[in-house]
Amino acid sequence: MLSIENLRVVYHDVISVLNGISLEVKEGEVLVIIGANGAGKTTLLRTVAGMIGFYDGDIIDGDIKMNDVSIKELDSADIMKRYNLTYVMEDRPIFNYLTIDENLKAAAYSRWDNKIKTDMEEVLDYFPVLKPLRNKKAGYASGGEQQMLAIGMALMTKPKILLLDEPSLGLAPLITEELFGIIRKLNKSGITIVLVEQNAYAALNIGNRGYVVEMGRVVLDGEAQELLKNEDVREFYLGAGESKRKSYKDAKRYKRRKRWL
Amino acid sequence: MTDLLQTVGTGTLIGLVYALLGLCVVVIFKASEAFNFAIGEFLVVGSFLFYIMFFDLNLPIFIALPLGLLAAGIVGALIEYLTIKPLLGRNPISMTMITLGLWFFMRACVQLIWGSDTYSFFLDLPDITLETEQFFFLSDPIWAGIFSILTFILVVFFLFRTRWGLAIRAVSEDQAKAMAFGINARFILMIIWAISSICIAVAGVMISNFGALAAGSGIVGLRAIPVVLIGGMDSIGGALVGGLIIGICESLAGAYIEPMGLIGFKDVAPYFVMLIVLFIRPYGLFGTVRIERV
Ligand SMILES: Nc1ncnc2c1ncn2[C@@H]1O[C@H](COP(=O)(O)OP(=O)(O)OP(=O)(O)O)[C@@H](O)[C@H]1O
Ligand SMILES: [Mg+2]
Repeated sequence: MLSIENLRVVYHDVISVLNGISLEVKEGEVLVIIGANGAGKTTLLRTVAGMIGFYDGDIIDGDIKMNDVSIKELDSADIMKRYNLTYVMEDRPIFNYLTIDENLKAAAYSRWDNKIKTDMEEVLDYFPVLKPLRNKKAGYASGGEQQMLAIGMALMTKPKILLLDEPSLGLAPLITEELFGIIRKLNKSGITIVLVEQNAYAALNIGNRGYVVEMGRVVLDGEAQELLKNEDVREFYLGAGESKRKSYKDAKRYKRRKRWL
Repeated sequence: MTDLLQTVGTGTLIGLVYALLGLCVVVIFKASEAFNFAIGEFLVVGSFLFYIMFFDLNLPIFIALPLGLLAAGIVGALIEYLTIKPLLGRNPISMTMITLGLWFFMRACVQLIWGSDTYSFFLDLPDITLETEQFFFLSDPIWAGIFSILTFILVVFFLFRTRWGLAIRAVSEDQAKAMAFGINARFILMIIWAISSICIAVAGVMISNFGALAAGSGIVGLRAIPVVLIGGMDSIGGALVGGLIIGICESLAGAYIEPMGLIGFKDVAPYFVMLIVLFIRPYGLFGTVRIERV
């Protein structure tokens, strides 16, 4: 449903971050994107969500298509309204000075129907931990609660596609597990999910397919289970090289090869 | 004692007007972390717009006032659209610099359109002069106090009880996050500037009603600086307290210190208080102490 074609994005007219990245999101799947820090994953999601202009970035080449229609000229509000695409930014994009209730209401700002109240209750049923905190400022909630809230807010926008940017950032393993369980549940309920993660193992385990991004390009892609078995992925992203570790020299050469691929 | 009460009362009334000026600066600062230095010129333009409706077109006040304020709001939104919007997402300092430019630009425009003459300004509101054996409060300052506090309350109600208010508070905390959740931050920012200019216009009309209106009247807008620095740049309650403190200080300085021979101290007193407050609390009385990690 969503396809990114040979996309090139620069910040401040000079910093080239995405260098011709291409990928495809299929309806109903959980697509996992992994890559080192600074690979351009966040930039990619910002661009798809129509927010790159806010960060003084420009698309200088390529295209983003939704069901074969280009969306690269649309702004974030339009993309959300027309295609039900919601981007959950990294680092818990909640409003610290608003209460949990107000956060959920604020996220429903773009809607004008009269079901906002019932949807709010539904979201709170999804995340029961938030219920007792409803009237507390979100800034005082724990990291896990804040991330749940962020996803709850995204649900208030009635998404068909969710772009999640490192939702497990800074969460304890147990909470991460719970969160990924919820993400899988959301996917089962019909939401297509694009999941950017550092926690490659957990992400690939709930994903259908995956892409490995480096220096603003896709260097590897395949079924999630395949990627989990792939030796290079294990070496660089799962931190578990096969039996004998490769020497640093080999690793460097490998990386260089990938960059010019 | 009676004297003191009288002085404090007078100060409170003018303080409410200053609080409204402070509020105008605070709502913009909260949203974009920029200080609007052009506030004085917004005040003059807003007052002149009302002047056109009321004195030039001779509309009755209950039509002229809403129309004048609406015009002020539109001008505010337009100025935001032309000068501030292109800077969305950039450094707040550049926005502040733009408002400095606007100050002089608008000043020149006002002088071109209305010249340097003084326009007499008399609203002819019902006389509610308060006179007892102890007190004597003139009608105009009382009206000014009433209109200012009413406007203040309306804005607070709008911010904390309506859908748009919630969006404004969300955008004020983080524009990018708000955009990601489908809130049109650009539009909201325009609304904020419109609200701010409407409030400035209310304050402007009230202040002009004390005497007259002229291109140079805008200087009183600078009172907003000590008001928000005392109260805290990002605190709405702080604007109210700051406004009252400045109003009362001014009034006290005028009644007790100036007679000692320090003519003009009245205008300096607010800055004096401001310095003392800033020594003790650098973020103002109610300002959020920000923790910045480097
Ligand atoms: N607003 C910006 N202006 C200039 N450069 C930027 C901006 N945002 C990101 N960059 C640069 O773009 C590159 C890619 O950043 P991006 O945030 O997309 O990476 P990422 O893959 O999400 O990394 P991480 O895993 O650390 O979140 C980095 O080198 C970063 O410094
Ligand atoms: Mg990132």
